[in-house]
Amino acid sequence: MPIGTNIEEIILHVAHVMIEELKLEGVTPETFDPDLDLVDEVGIDSMDLATVALVLRDEYGIRIDEDDYPKLINIRLISEYIDNRLKEKLQSAVG
Amino acid sequence: MASTKSTAPGPFSPEKIWKFSDILSDPEIRSRWETVRKYFFLRESTFDMTNRCNIRCDGCYYYEGDKQFVRENRNPDDWRKLMRAEKSRGITYVVLAGAEPSLVPDLCQVCFQEMPLGTIATNGLKFIPASINYRIHISVWGNDETSLSTRNAKDMLIRQVENYKGDPRAVFVYTFTRENIDQAREVAEILAARGCRLTFNMFSAPVGYGGPLRHTPASLLRTRKTMIDLLAAYPDHVLFSCYNAVAHTHPSGLHDLYSCSYPRKNPSTDIGLGRSFRQYRADLAWDRSAACCVPDTDCVECRHYAAGSAVVTARMFRHATDPETFKSWLDYVDTYLAVWVMGYAKGKNLCNDLVDPPGLQTSGSQEKEFF
Repeated sequence: MPIGTNIEEIILHVAHVMIEELKLEGVTPETFDPDLDLVDEVGIDSMDLATVALVLRDEYGIRIDEDDYPKLINIRLISEYIDNRLKEKLQSAVG
Repeated sequence: MASTKSTAPGPFSPEKIWKFSDILSDPEIRSRWETVRKYFFLRESTFDMTNRCNIRCDGCYYYEGDKQFVRENRNPDDWRKLMRAEKSRGITYVVLAGAEPSLVPDLCQVCFQEMPLGTIATNGLKFIPASINYRIHISVWGNDETSLSTRNAKDMLIRQVENYKGDPRAVFVYTFTRENIDQAREVAEILAARGCRLTFNMFSAPVGYGGPLRHTPASLLRTRKTMIDLLAAYPDHVLFSCYNAVAHTHPSGLHDLYSCSYPRKNPSTDIGLGRSFRQYRADLAWDRSAACCVPDTDCVECRHYAAGSAVVTARMFRHATDPETFKSWLDYVDTYLAVWVMGYAKGKNLCNDLVDPPGLQTSGSQEKEFF
């Protein structure tokens, strides 16, 4: 699945990574509600989130701070974080 | 003997940034990672089972603070309700500790019926029925001469071994104090000769403790060396790794090294221990401001094995920097699972170097100078 660079594509890709890494069943990237609380409603724990953060760090080539990922508790928040990091990276490359 | 190794890039070395996928491309690492990650579902709460104990040890954490004065709840129905409520909160693992759980086997049995994964911390003098299939951690604080002087109990090791020799639940936990470091060798020899497994703990002074058991820089150094020697001498009996030794004998305590994630030191309720962990007193009440695995320990001094098992394990993200650091973390988690989870078999350690805890502000030369 392409990782994408606009927010909608990033949301789909984050959902894909989440499903693959955590072996979630009964959901596809397209049906995964990006506003679902991953902790309360999906049952994801801190170690799961750390795993996903490491995979996304690899795939997007961005820096994710250890203090940041525990606050990224739904797919939309994670995707917006990635989007911001990609923009910063682009700015620093241009600047 | 393990060598000291810093994985941080030196001033003249090109800084390699490892991708997580590259680290996992090593089959040995991948295999261990897939093994340990199956246990990420474990979420713990801890429980004081009674405020009584059949011995009284110098420096005991339980008889500090006000938890010892609560009125204990001995109603099995209340305990069953509590276990069910904990399960509904997502708790999957319990630690039954203070003051001495073996004195209330009926309550331990109720806990086991409702929550099948857990550990009981005991002094080992009273046998816990085999029907309670939790891990049993038996505390050892030195040889029998030392136990008599600091715990006021005669022939302690003999009685502990008599009760738990050949018991698949049992792990003996040798707590290193400033005064019993050399005795660990004779205790390990006795336990290994009888087929008993052991792991190591560090005396972590309770708040306000001024006694002789508190560690010093010199005793930390001697303890580290002894741990590593014993790990090499008894690899089939000692459940430990080089990184365990580094993490628990470092001049800085666990909180400074890894930022403790128990509620007592962690105000965040977003995720992880800060969100789910509770420490219940014998009256079944809990207090977020005091909640950690060994309440009333001085946090600056905390090098407790139970604390490390959660706090170091939770810091996977920062250990995914390079293969050696990640291997060290995997060894630590592998040890933690073997010590705390029934049925989990310890694998061979992947890293025999002494790798620095990552992200240390005072690492490198300062620690090497110290050691």
